[in-house]
Amino acid sequence: MSVLAGKELRIVGFLCNWCSYGGADTAGTARAVQPTDLRIIRVPCSGRVNPLFVLKALMNGADGVLVSGCHPRDCHYSSGNFYARRRLELLKQFLPVIGIDPERFEYTWVSASEGQRWKDVVTNFTARIHALGPAPRWEDVPARYDMPVELLESLRPLGCGEHPALPELKQAIKDALAQGLEGVLGWKKGFDAIHAEPVFMTTPEEVDSLIWGPFNVQNLAVFLPQYKGRKIGVVVKGCDSKGVVELLSEGLISRDEVQIFGMGCNGTVNLSRILAKLPEGAAIESCACRGNKITVTAGGQTIEMTMAEVAQDKCRLCTKPNAVISDAFAGTPTTEPEAPQDGRLPGLRFLDSLSLEERMGFWKGQMERCIACHACRGACPMCVCRDHCVSDSRDPEWVTQEDTVQQKLFFQLIHAQHLAGRCTGCTECERACPMDIPVFALKQQFGRTIQKIFSYGAGLDVNATPPLLTYQVEETTIKERDLA
Amino acid sequence: MSSLLFATPAELTAWLAGLASGQRVLVPCQEGPSVVYRPRTAEQLSAAGVNALLRRSTSSPKQAVLPQCETLVAFKSVKDEQDPSKVTTTVENPCKAEPTVLFGCRPCDARGFVVLDRPYLHGPFKDPYYGARREATTIVTQACPSVFATCFCHWVGSHPADGEGSDILFTAVEGGFVLDILTEKGKALVEGAAFADGSDKAEAVAAAHKATAEALAPAPNLSEAAAKIAARFTDTAFWTRETVKCLSCGACTYLCPTCQCFTITDEGSQLNGRRLRSWDSCMTPLFTLETSGHNPRPDKSQRMRNRVSHKFSFYPERYDGFFSCVGCGRCVISCPVSLDIRHMVTAAMEGMEGKKPAEAPAAPAEKTAETPKAPADAPAAPKTPAKSKSKKR
Amino acid sequence: MKIGVFVCHCGSNIEATVDTAAVARIALTYPDVVFAEDTMYTCSEPGQENIVQAIKKHGLDGVVVASCSPRMHEPTFRRTVERAGLNRYMFEMANIREHVSWIGRDREANTNKAAELVRLAVEKLRRDAPLYAKQFDVTKRVLVIGGGVAGIQAALDAADAGIGVVMVERESTIGGKMAKLDKTFPTIDCSSCVLAPKMVDVAQNPNITLYAHSEVESISGFVGNFTVKIRRRATYVDWDKCTGCGTCTEKCPTKNVPDAFNENISTCRAINIPFPQAIPKKATINPDYCRKIKEGKCGVCAKVCPTGAIVYDMADEIVEEKVGAVIAATGYDLMDWTVLKEYGGGTYPDVITSLQYERMMSASGPTAGHIHRPSDGMEPRNIVFIQCVGSRDCSIGRPYCSGFCCMYTAKQAIMTKDHLPDAEAYVFYMDIRAPGKMYDEFTRRAQEEYGVQYVRGRVSAIQPTVRPDGKVGYIVRGADTLLGKQVEVDADMVVLAVGVEGSHGAGHLAEILRISYDHFGFFMESHVKLRPVETNTAGVYLAGVCQGAKDIPASVAQGSAAAAKVMALFSKPKLENDPQISLVDIKRCVGCGKCIKVCPYQAIEEVDVRGAKKAHVIETVCQGCGLCTATCPQGAIQVAHFTDNQILAEVNALCQC
Repeated sequence: MSVLAGKELRIVGFLCNWCSYGGADTAGTARAVQPTDLRIIRVPCSGRVNPLFVLKALMNGADGVLVSGCHPRDCHYSSGNFYARRRLELLKQFLPVIGIDPERFEYTWVSASEGQRWKDVVTNFTARIHALGPAPRWEDVPARYDMPVELLESLRPLGCGEHPALPELKQAIKDALAQGLEGVLGWKKGFDAIHAEPVFMTTPEEVDSLIWGPFNVQNLAVFLPQYKGRKIGVVVKGCDSKGVVELLSEGLISRDEVQIFGMGCNGTVNLSRILAKLPEGAAIESCACRGNKITVTAGGQTIEMTMAEVAQDKCRLCTKPNAVISDAFAGTPTTEPEAPQDGRLPGLRFLDSLSLEERMGFWKGQMERCIACHACRGACPMCVCRDHCVSDSRDPEWVTQEDTVQQKLFFQLIHAQHLAGRCTGCTECERACPMDIPVFALKQQFGRTIQKIFSYGAGLDVNATPPLLTYQVEETTIKERDLA
Repeated sequence: MSSLLFATPAELTAWLAGLASGQRVLVPCQEGPSVVYRPRTAEQLSAAGVNALLRRSTSSPKQAVLPQCETLVAFKSVKDEQDPSKVTTTVENPCKAEPTVLFGCRPCDARGFVVLDRPYLHGPFKDPYYGARREATTIVTQACPSVFATCFCHWVGSHPADGEGSDILFTAVEGGFVLDILTEKGKALVEGAAFADGSDKAEAVAAAHKATAEALAPAPNLSEAAAKIAARFTDTAFWTRETVKCLSCGACTYLCPTCQCFTITDEGSQLNGRRLRSWDSCMTPLFTLETSGHNPRPDKSQRMRNRVSHKFSFYPERYDGFFSCVGCGRCVISCPVSLDIRHMVTAAMEGMEGKKPAEAPAAPAEKTAETPKAPADAPAAPKTPAKSKSKKR
Repeated sequence: MKIGVFVCHCGSNIEATVDTAAVARIALTYPDVVFAEDTMYTCSEPGQENIVQAIKKHGLDGVVVASCSPRMHEPTFRRTVERAGLNRYMFEMANIREHVSWIGRDREANTNKAAELVRLAVEKLRRDAPLYAKQFDVTKRVLVIGGGVAGIQAALDAADAGIGVVMVERESTIGGKMAKLDKTFPTIDCSSCVLAPKMVDVAQNPNITLYAHSEVESISGFVGNFTVKIRRRATYVDWDKCTGCGTCTEKCPTKNVPDAFNENISTCRAINIPFPQAIPKKATINPDYCRKIKEGKCGVCAKVCPTGAIVYDMADEIVEEKVGAVIAATGYDLMDWTVLKEYGGGTYPDVITSLQYERMMSASGPTAGHIHRPSDGMEPRNIVFIQCVGSRDCSIGRPYCSGFCCMYTAKQAIMTKDHLPDAEAYVFYMDIRAPGKMYDEFTRRAQEEYGVQYVRGRVSAIQPTVRPDGKVGYIVRGADTLLGKQVEVDADMVVLAVGVEGSHGAGHLAEILRISYDHFGFFMESHVKLRPVETNTAGVYLAGVCQGAKDIPASVAQGSAAAAKVMALFSKPKLENDPQISLVDIKRCVGCGKCIKVCPYQAIEEVDVRGAKKAHVIETVCQGCGLCTATCPQGAIQVAHFTDNQILAEVNALCQC
């Protein structure tokens, strides 16, 4: 099926059955002549509109999408539109990051009695979409692969030396094991001196293998849900602890089943940045860390580098180097810097500097090399669907197995949307990506919007309710746009 | 057959550019921080410096012959206007094997195709899609100029200058490259190329090969790996312990040059549909999920056991002792939790001398009749999983 | 699957701008469609029979009708397919009338759009599954909100049918606006003589529980099983003890309290019984004026009360009632006419509303039925009535007719002549709307028998003047459009027929009831013609002016109609749910509980399935809003007939790049 060539654009409407669909009926009964572009999909409630439907339509080439529900406080189901308002506003502000003009999407409220209002909404929205013209198509946008390397200045001094409280931490873990804890998740040296790997410590000897330092990159919170029902412990950096808090607040793990061991973190490294400084492929012979300097001997060469050169991006803007929640905290906490004015990591900073079309081209270029392994999902501590991810399912079938840019990007949109208000910013998705695709930018786009609208950061308070699972009757920070 | 030719860097790129006029030339390209295989035009190739074409790719070049996703069949039906029960269906067989040159892969990558050939071409069924592309692809391999810390091709019966699976093997020497023409296909590819004879460079080539090979750390003896790993099958505690850190993400299988499993899905409607074959991963729970909801491998330890066992035990048992691992080390480099299959294999073998499967410590939790020779677990032919993913339409 | 598509002409309603035959032809090319045709009136008896025959002949297992809005005829066609042996939910509608033919003029574009809407319906139907309703218990009690004449009628009819009634009245007495009226048209019957016995019946009927001076705080639940929280506002008088003797209201020293029952044209005491026939006849203290409550001094009423009923520290109380249905009968209020500066906007003391005039004429009113103008007590000689004050006036955003003003103005003019035979009554009107039994005759009597001077035209200004005798007069200037000239009347008093709007707070109540309301506070009925008593929320009905302006007999009729709807609802031993509700796939559910958090009905509970936490939908509580489906990240909870795959299929049918 196609739109009437030259006359119509593809505009999809999702209307709640009780108010807006009725309003459209009322407009029809009043013979209120409207443009013919809009195609209405009837849903029970605007709260039924998963923002992913809107994304699906836009990714599939819709020129405009309109959602309309009952006026706030007048929802047939009491509160569906309150949730819709939050989700849809967030979606609208998300769209630019993937290069979609946010003006192509709108949500509004029309009651069953407001036939004239409905006519105005349709007329004005259709005119707006016609003024924007047909949506750019993914096939036509030139792909771009460039992304400048930007080393952000760190908010605090980053270091990599031996942590003085490590013996204290080990002792605390040994004591806890002696008191009946089944095991404690931590890190030990991996296959070479710069790779650390997670370890589930159950004996004092294994505890002695525990390391702490710039190579402890993995966020161990990711493993916690699979230990549900068992009493275990976990060693956390500040960023990891946010994941633990979020899991606790969502009831996915129980506080009485997990003991949290913390220690002040001085930053971790981006291994690719270290490897890029070494002869390609060279075996690491040794590595020494002192102060903020890392000295690696590989392939017969000794190369010195500083944390400022090789630290992970997230560490540079980290304001929570200490566990936000812990049962045992070893040593003195690291000084916590003030939150930066600009918390954007390089991915989002770069995207912000591009035009909408360039952003589309950016994602097209990035997603071309995605091998759809979904390591991003595997490494994400908040991806709690685990074996039941919707992207693997046929019912619902949000994505096909096709390896097109749209399908692969849609998976990333699902991931980002599901993490909206839940993502703690650990950037493990991006670190795990074998193809180095900057997928965290999508989550950070949601994250900064949520911070802006709801002043909410995930993973800081066990008793907090994520903003998309609640609502305010009057949303003072959501400025709605009236189409009528 | 083996004959040596010599090409300067400029001659090499000019030759490649010439090839690109008649066929698809896949070369390693930098995309973002990663290196991936991409088709390049004659202009792009002549403009590229030769060094840009010699990078080792982040993901394996397997895609050239076994794409991430391919359409097996597509059809379109049109209903008869008078009698809608009558339909006219046109079936499109999109199996197009474009003549392709795969340039710059490494010996391990090239050997990967040999591993894939066994189930896809030499089993009871010959896969026409794979076969056609394989036939149409000429593989020009670069002998490794250096080794990566994660390289272990010499563990699995190969070396950094192995020509198995390649049509041409080239080696960087002083002033240019020596091309060793290994097959008829390779010979056809250099026909008409203005390369000098390279016989006099044989020594330099040998020296380069030796130097690279010597950079590798000594390899353990894996000759009994198949039996020992089979004997480890029922040692649940071992597999659980070794996979504690695994994220079940599956990156290892998607990067692997030899992972061969796929899933088949139907997209579209009964009037306009496509049957797709796409890579699958034994590291995901969905891989073995049955329609009933039962999953014989619900835990990541069982899935990891399958991956390691398939590469080092099931496959060699079936195919004359060849491993289905070529030691490229991509799974090690890219694993987010630094899980190392080398360690996994040696740890699994340790202490299993002369043990038969029955003698291996049996875990009480796994009393079900899973034997190491479980034919269900050892893919005799490429899997066509009849699982809940397959569409009912 | 075999799908049949029926494209309706709806006479010329659709066919005029949509090529229905072409739509049917295109529909045949869609997947699974084996039969398609255009029909004249699909909803007619032969039209429905045609569907039944086609289902049988072609072995259809699903039907799409492209015609009007599903809000209109979905139930009709569901019954039709059920008659042919299909599950009633194997049916979808494409709305090609309200959403296509009536709003677009381009036949080509309309035809294309109609065909696409049919495509959406087909794609949705292909993913429909048969659904079966569940039965659930019903609480056979009804909540009546508002104790005006409509609410009283509804309550009495329901109570007579043996249904328990909970009546909530905001004021301290029931009776509503009718209790304030002196007489009623067109018979000049005494209003309270008609109403008072009914009010007494409410008080005496054992099936009716009356909460006066109370408001509905919240309502939860669903049809058959509502839980209502009622706020009993503090009266500061223990009504169980109060006998209504009135001693307190005589002795209370605070005499300057505006008397709301008398429309503030007089004052009353801080403790008050609104009028002699009040039901319940109980005293209430106005805490804004009571000296004891405000200043701690006084306490006279407590001293004089023979039963010790005064409780100065009384607090509001919340009571909970369980009901199965709700009748909203909250009536109206007058619009704020002070915005009309040409009539003095409330600043001229002798320009009053017709309700104030009504109280003035009432024998039990503040002037004991004598007409004296407020400013100086003078008996007026010239009285001007102005109609359509705030009605039919688009310039102030009041486009609608308030319906009954023409009639009561005629009544008041006639009664003015009865009270003051020498007085002159002038009526400025736009049109006389008297379409009821004996109504037009009544307005004619006013003119012909009583000599009321009707002037067709609007008043442009009222100008106060001081007459030579020093008294204030009001020059009423207006147009006589029949004579085509300006007229001026020197009036002693002006009575404004002020337009009505939904009663104050109606919007808030609508939100509590989850029903729609319009800009003017009137509640929205389910269908303007065919379901004027129902709302879109099952189990909530409307009676009286809260739904739209109407007079007493119409309000009483709607009260009875609402009661009849409730009786029909309660006539079944059990109710059936709409099976378009959510269902959890426990294989996919990870028990994260997000659905439980957002469900507006607490319809999802956490259950233990072999040691794992899972969500479970309570089938009779779920209302099918689908909020859970949009929330569940795994897609494990799906609302039937609006599943992710159904909506995705619709999206994909529209957008395939």
